[in-house]
Amino acid sequence: MALDKIADKVIDTDLLVVGGGTGGCPMAAKAAEQGLKVTIVEKSNTKRSGNVGHGIDTYGIFAHGISVIDAVRLWQKKDMQGVNGPGRWVNSNIDYVLFKQGFWALDELERLGVPMKWDNGKYYWTPHLLRAPGVKAGLRVHWQNVKPIMTKMVKDRGVEILNRVMVLDLLTKNNRVTGATAVNTRTGEFIVIKAKAVALAAGFLCRCFEPETPTSYKYKFRYHYCPASISGDGFAIAYRAGAKLANMDINAWGFRIRDDATISFGNFPNNDGTPSKVFNWKGEEPPSYYYTKIAGYDEAEHIGMAPFYQSLNHLTDDYQKRLELNYNDEWLLAFKTAEDRKFNPRTHWWEFGKNKPLQFMMPQGVATDEHFRSSVDGLYAVGDNAAGVGGAYGACISGLVVGDTVSSYISEHGEPDIDEAQVESQKQKALAPLAVEDGAEFMDVECAIRYICERYVGNMRSEGMMREGVRRLNTLRREFANKIEAKNPHYLMRAHEVRNIMDLAELHIHACLNRKETRGGFVRVDYPEMDPAWNQKVTLQRMENGKSVLEIGEMPDLKQEYIDAEEGEK
Amino acid sequence: MAVVKINYSNCIGCKKCYDLCPMDVFTWDEEEKRPVVSYEEECWMCGICWMDCPKRTIDIRLPASNW
Repeated sequence: MALDKIADKVIDTDLLVVGGGTGGCPMAAKAAEQGLKVTIVEKSNTKRSGNVGHGIDTYGIFAHGISVIDAVRLWQKKDMQGVNGPGRWVNSNIDYVLFKQGFWALDELERLGVPMKWDNGKYYWTPHLLRAPGVKAGLRVHWQNVKPIMTKMVKDRGVEILNRVMVLDLLTKNNRVTGATAVNTRTGEFIVIKAKAVALAAGFLCRCFEPETPTSYKYKFRYHYCPASISGDGFAIAYRAGAKLANMDINAWGFRIRDDATISFGNFPNNDGTPSKVFNWKGEEPPSYYYTKIAGYDEAEHIGMAPFYQSLNHLTDDYQKRLELNYNDEWLLAFKTAEDRKFNPRTHWWEFGKNKPLQFMMPQGVATDEHFRSSVDGLYAVGDNAAGVGGAYGACISGLVVGDTVSSYISEHGEPDIDEAQVESQKQKALAPLAVEDGAEFMDVECAIRYICERYVGNMRSEGMMREGVRRLNTLRREFANKIEAKNPHYLMRAHEVRNIMDLAELHIHACLNRKETRGGFVRVDYPEMDPAWNQKVTLQRMENGKSVLEIGEMPDLKQEYIDAEEGEK
Repeated sequence: MAVVKINYSNCIGCKKCYDLCPMDVFTWDEEEKRPVVSYEEECWMCGICWMDCPKRTIDIRLPASNW
């Protein structure tokens, strides 16, 4: 059967970009400038989608005032190992490329019309992110202005944008990506996209955990950490297409922030380098163990020390003003909500609470080389989708690098050979939820997954609890995976998000069961010691012939040629 | 008490909220030529409709559970 008989619409493109955010848009613009036909598929609208759609707190990290190699080593030591314990968690060559190309990326963005400079026409460097004296590695940007500009940037360069379209699965043949199947979330149109290369720029995963603000019974997407609509679609479709995912055992964790609903929390301990103060309810400053370690907060509650608050009361007026700009840059509603709640960020304290699992973002994702190529031929991953890349800076830089280099892959490879049987089978799965009657609501199933990940895996993991979690997840899949109902194309999107979340939750729980040790933020209460067998090792997972395969592998160390190149420049 | 509330007396039917909402909370009523809050429980209070509405005719309020 011809493709146009199976699909409502067939699109033929050189480069398919999945996700029109901070990674996808710069990549698309750059690739289009190389003469490629580029198509962005975006689940919402590129004008306001992705992590920076509504603003975000910071743009770091840069090797500013420090050599590239030192930046790579510092980043690994202070941040990656500081959080996750000793080891090489990410491909060091990716870090090298991010630091090496950071300033080029800034110049490129400015050239493409995306303002990276501050109101005074200069880059606004801040201390902090590499946590080294004298190093100003962070950059402040008015992110909330950026997405409409990026949309114009790609449109001006002839990029085709498909808004309100969700990619459901990748098409592959002989371990080469040949395109994707997708559905319009408003019309239900089933779309086949033939592509010579595909780049995943669809953001991270957090929806297998509860939001930080704990009491919501109805508004279950109101997460603090960046956009809520982050169902890990990029991870999941890569995994099902056979690409390797890394570090899905190592979820990020942080505090439940009770008052983040008022002023976004992400900014205040960070961006300008001045720390906030932490108090307990009596106004005493508690030892930091109680609020920085996973077990600490539970202990504090048991001895009556909680709750804890963060305070900015001691800071100067000038610093307060800069912070207020930060809040505004991160969350449009910050001051409106503060006013509604009569909350004054200068004088009130923020309550924060129990440590909890948050998300899969920085070391997690599709394992790639430093050119952001995955283990599937022609499949790239950038931004939060790539293991070792995170944040707005990682997205912009990796996106631009792929946009700059992908044309050589595309020119060397011919037309994609679409497997029509694969399209047929994906179409059946894609549209199945529309035919379900008297089925489960998507959010009911999603909450069941969240509950399993929070209660049976959580931060304090043990064999028995996780085995019970696996049993529950298997039952959930058996009983409900095919019974999520979609009354319309909008809910079809949600049903497929839940399918993705379920696949990734399963990867997470199996990876956690397999790691029988405690290292950094990864705690196994039944194996409280570090196991030397895991030194320098990471978990890699992929799908092969419909079965999940888990391997323990290593992330590459910095290549000698890169070290030599930097030495040469000195 | 709704989290997303459109004051229709000021709405000019420009479709911005319907076009831009990242969570697809709005649908479009073609007969009345106006947006409808159809998936209110999926709102995550990002404020994009509130800010991009040229008439500022959408209000976003924190629900009691997030107060």
